[in-house]
Amino acid sequence: MGAYIIRRLLSVVPITLGVLLITFFLFRVLGGNPAYRIAGKNATAARIAQISHERGYDKPLFLNFQDFPRSLLDAQFPRLCAQLARLDFGESLSTKQRVSTMLRQGFVPSLCVTVPLFVIELVLAITFALLAAYFRDTWLDRGLVVVSVMGMSISTLVYIMVAQYWLASEWRLFPVWGFEGPYYLVLPVLIGVVAGVGGSVRFYRTVMLDEMFQEYVRTARAKGVPQQTILFRHVLRNAMIPILTNVIIAIPFLYTGALLLENFFGIPGLGRMTVTALFNGDEDVIFADVFIGSILFVIANVITDVAYTWADPRIRLR
Amino acid sequence: MTVATTTMTPAVPPQTATPAQPTGLWRIAWRQLRRNRLAMICLVILGVYTAIWLYAETVFWGARLRGVTPAYKVSNYDIRNQPPSAAHPLGTNYAGRDNLGQVIQGTRIAFEIGLLTSVIVIPLGFVLGAAAGYFGRKVDTVVVYLYSIVDSVPPILLILAIAYVVRGAIDRSPVFQTVTQYIDSGLLAVCFGMGFTGWVSLCRLIRAEYLKHRERQYVLAARALGVSNAAIMFRHILPNVSHLIIINFSLRFPGLILTEAVLSYLGVGVANEPSWGAIINDAKQRLWLGNWWELAGATAAMFFLVLALNLFGDALRDALDPKLRTAEAKTA
Amino acid sequence: MLPRRVLAKLTAAITLAALSLFAFGICRATERSELVLHGIGGDFKGFDPVDCGDVESADQVSRVYEGLLEYAYLDRPYRAIPRLAKVMPEVSADGLTYTFKIKQGVRFQDDPCFSGGKGRELVAEDFVYSWKRLLDPKLQSQGTWIFDGHLKEAVVLDAHTLQVRLTQPYPQLLWVLTMPYAFVVPREAVEHYGGEFRNHPVGTGPFRLKRWRRSYRIEYERNPTFSGQRYPDTGEPEDKEAGLLEDDGKPLPLLDRIVEYDVNEYYTAWQMFLAGQTFSSGINKDYFEKVITPQLGLSDALKKKGIRLYKRPELATYYIGFNMLDPVVGQTADPAVNERHRKLRQAFATAIDVDKYIAVITNGRYLPANTPIPPGVLGHTEKPYPYKYDLTRARKLLAEAGYPDGRDAKGRPLRLTMIMPGAGSTDARQQADFYSEQLHAIGIELVVQQLTFAEYLRREHDGETQIFWAGWVIDYPDAQNFLQLFYGPNKCPGVNATNYQNPEFDRRYERILSMSESPERTALYEQMAGMANNDCVWALIGYPLAYGLFQPWFQDYKPHAFPYANWKYFKVLPH
Repeated sequence: MGAYIIRRLLSVVPITLGVLLITFFLFRVLGGNPAYRIAGKNATAARIAQISHERGYDKPLFLNFQDFPRSLLDAQFPRLCAQLARLDFGESLSTKQRVSTMLRQGFVPSLCVTVPLFVIELVLAITFALLAAYFRDTWLDRGLVVVSVMGMSISTLVYIMVAQYWLASEWRLFPVWGFEGPYYLVLPVLIGVVAGVGGSVRFYRTVMLDEMFQEYVRTARAKGVPQQTILFRHVLRNAMIPILTNVIIAIPFLYTGALLLENFFGIPGLGRMTVTALFNGDEDVIFADVFIGSILFVIANVITDVAYTWADPRIRLR
Repeated sequence: MTVATTTMTPAVPPQTATPAQPTGLWRIAWRQLRRNRLAMICLVILGVYTAIWLYAETVFWGARLRGVTPAYKVSNYDIRNQPPSAAHPLGTNYAGRDNLGQVIQGTRIAFEIGLLTSVIVIPLGFVLGAAAGYFGRKVDTVVVYLYSIVDSVPPILLILAIAYVVRGAIDRSPVFQTVTQYIDSGLLAVCFGMGFTGWVSLCRLIRAEYLKHRERQYVLAARALGVSNAAIMFRHILPNVSHLIIINFSLRFPGLILTEAVLSYLGVGVANEPSWGAIINDAKQRLWLGNWWELAGATAAMFFLVLALNLFGDALRDALDPKLRTAEAKTA
Repeated sequence: MLPRRVLAKLTAAITLAALSLFAFGICRATERSELVLHGIGGDFKGFDPVDCGDVESADQVSRVYEGLLEYAYLDRPYRAIPRLAKVMPEVSADGLTYTFKIKQGVRFQDDPCFSGGKGRELVAEDFVYSWKRLLDPKLQSQGTWIFDGHLKEAVVLDAHTLQVRLTQPYPQLLWVLTMPYAFVVPREAVEHYGGEFRNHPVGTGPFRLKRWRRSYRIEYERNPTFSGQRYPDTGEPEDKEAGLLEDDGKPLPLLDRIVEYDVNEYYTAWQMFLAGQTFSSGINKDYFEKVITPQLGLSDALKKKGIRLYKRPELATYYIGFNMLDPVVGQTADPAVNERHRKLRQAFATAIDVDKYIAVITNGRYLPANTPIPPGVLGHTEKPYPYKYDLTRARKLLAEAGYPDGRDAKGRPLRLTMIMPGAGSTDARQQADFYSEQLHAIGIELVVQQLTFAEYLRREHDGETQIFWAGWVIDYPDAQNFLQLFYGPNKCPGVNATNYQNPEFDRRYERILSMSESPERTALYEQMAGMANNDCVWALIGYPLAYGLFQPWFQDYKPHAFPYANWKYFKVLPH
């Protein structure tokens, strides 16, 4: 199993390279030379050339064949990878801050929203899904499904606008904006849960139902095992694999924060930072973001695999 | 992949080679669907939306081809921001345009997004998924690698990044000048963004099916008879998995509509046409004045379409492939 | 070589791009009268005077740092007065040497970067150091233009005497020295903090940074070592009546503390203003009708709350520029074709109903423009705009340009592309709709591409435009700042984004560069603006008026076209 984990963890290299390649392609190749943005409106051609040179934007994009093979890797993309591999995330073009500082400052506020949101949503979703599965094909089940689907048919944007306007501005139940204490997080988290729980209920319900159609459930039922026991002892236990997969895979994305909620409620998190960076063409921030994201993603995948062996002892990792 | 046709070997007629009967499958599914009252209601709703969409297209193209400003774009500043009335059931917007007309055009945009995105998603997801599942080995490794990459970036970020950059490229490039005469560049960019991230779920699904089917008797038989790989993949296996594409489409479509609204808020949505996302975002500024009708109109239009698509998609899936319960993961 | 400006462009875009850059005040009611809370208008680049190319950075930097000169707060027309200089400089007869006497006893704020932690006294050498730093290519400042091509050297004559020597006369020097780019920083802080210098401002100014959480909150407190500046005792005649002179002679700053939050949703910020949590608010055009009566005064509901309305002329011009290198609308060597293209531009300009635009799109917040130079700046004239809205004339001009009814010789419709900043914002969408509709009336199909600001700048910079919507906010009260936008050698990637070439114009421009204010110079300004109008380089839209709302407890505010370095004058009453 140790060897397996190491092998899987090594896949971080190709995946991260791939992600960076795509990002690099989008921003540097299609997006053009960032020197223009650095130089600003008042730049002269000479100034742009100078900045390009200093920052290495005048080098070949992917590989350098000029002095083959000595300087093969003296090109923009390999240099970027090397820089990130040293965990040097560079400097934001639009705020002139170290990206590492920005990440450090941003991830706590992001997690303050996404973690409670995620946990509450998960607990609610699994509870409702179990209910629906237990009472399947009754009015309760159908009602839950229809309500869930209705809930997920409204844009998150509308939830936010309506809740912020009425609950916070008009009725003063919550602060409109800010990140001053736990109370400020209640409304964003609440909105996030309401907007997201429908989809989760629908998903986990199908997961539960998948299990309910399995042979062993039929056998257990034939043996006269009570429904509750089947549901909690067998179905939930066996549904752990898809649930775990879904949960652990979602975890790395918690760090990117909730774009909309952060924007509307003034939470100084990474979601807001990333969107701003995107619009300012602030590549260093984007590169750092996807770099960390892809590493977390691979790690989460390995954890999922390990978790499988715990949830289902028949699974062996080789 | 080259298609090595073996002319001397008699090709196996697909009908006899495939154990599943597509026509039968569809007929059975339809019978089951008809018994599902909810699904039937949804189907009627979808029919109404389709009719609205076709009507909106005629309005748009009619004006476009005659070179006149379409009615929904004509402003009348004397009747700005009016509440609903008999003449304007959904009120008017900042420029005195009938809000109902805007919402109807929004339907067109929603359908166009669904279709254009699928133009990217279906070929990409299907071909990659089929090749990976059928050939396995290196091809599979490459495809799995590709979708792992897409998977490891939060979807909304990847969509934003692609849409943002593609939009810039389209706007700058003279090649797209003719295309953007007819299709909004923002809309194209959004479709690119959602297309190049959305193929993964279909690809997974198809790959898993092809993995199963390639070991089936009829495929082994066809291969033994020397039928080309391409023919097996497309002529023999495809009919057995085509329903997955439809299920995937009907369950992906609502997600696209919701995502467009978010993209619109983030500034990369449809630019010069009234998409529902754009209407909602514009309404935000006037909600304070009590102008609820813009928000309500677009939200309701979006709600019923997404709801009907979701419920119908579920029913369709249950009817076509009861085992396939988790075909579509949660939408973002 | 010439003054170029980023600040102005940004202001224009920010005003337009209602997306994320609104500046709103937020203020919480507390018992401490000194506390003002207000909103940051988006991300800024920290506290380094070399990096204050945007309005927000300039504003923040100017709370901590100062320069030799500043604008007199209450005086109009705008006037530069000494700040860190003791008196206005002595200027040599040839206009090439400026000698500044620097105030004695001015100290940088106390900071660990100084030995003993006590702020050191400001000396002439600090300016030489700061300006060298500004011009250091490694720092990639966007503000080098203020000295480029003009400054020969800055020489320290003694600890408190600084001599600036120029390569050619530069009457605008006194203006640019009021700008944050020219502010003074201590060498010790730069060296001590290194890369973190921008987060540790150490200035001579009225406030010092206390706490800062990026994208969320920033807090300043009074700088206890700020040296004796007092509230002015003179101003315009109406200032006395407005109560702006009541605090005369009081030591500045009047506030003890400033706290700002960064609210980037207009809709949220407006709610906060109404709840009295913020001291000021801009007015979104969609809210305008409810807030402002048709006579452009304050609505009763807000008046009752004691809220005051300010209108501030922005010394800016909004316009639609044509790229003169474009094969359809631009200049060409062939005089006949050139004339047809000029007619096309004129048809375009004549087809835009500016009065309607101002009424319905901006709610009366612009004055219609008649020359590129806005009122309030010498060189502005009252001559009528030559391309006043007239559909018949526009159609005629279009036909003369070779596009009868908007069709070319082969019957194909004329299709033009305009870019504008503000992607995704409601404002941009509404403007885009308006212009397309106007031009459609004469048969031109106008495609409006709404771009993010970064992309917009890039396109303009690369000259990859045909037509572009733009605004220019003046840097200093001298029309030369506008006229540089038409000067041939300033073509892309310079400030002349239209790439307009006119040797006659250029000759005059080169003359005015070394002229001090005189009727002759003003006459030349008027002539040059007339030439630009004649060639219809810009289709003029309007001169914006900024409307702002203020809570009754916010005092001593006077709208200022150069809205930085004014925080020390503001006051808050107990509320």
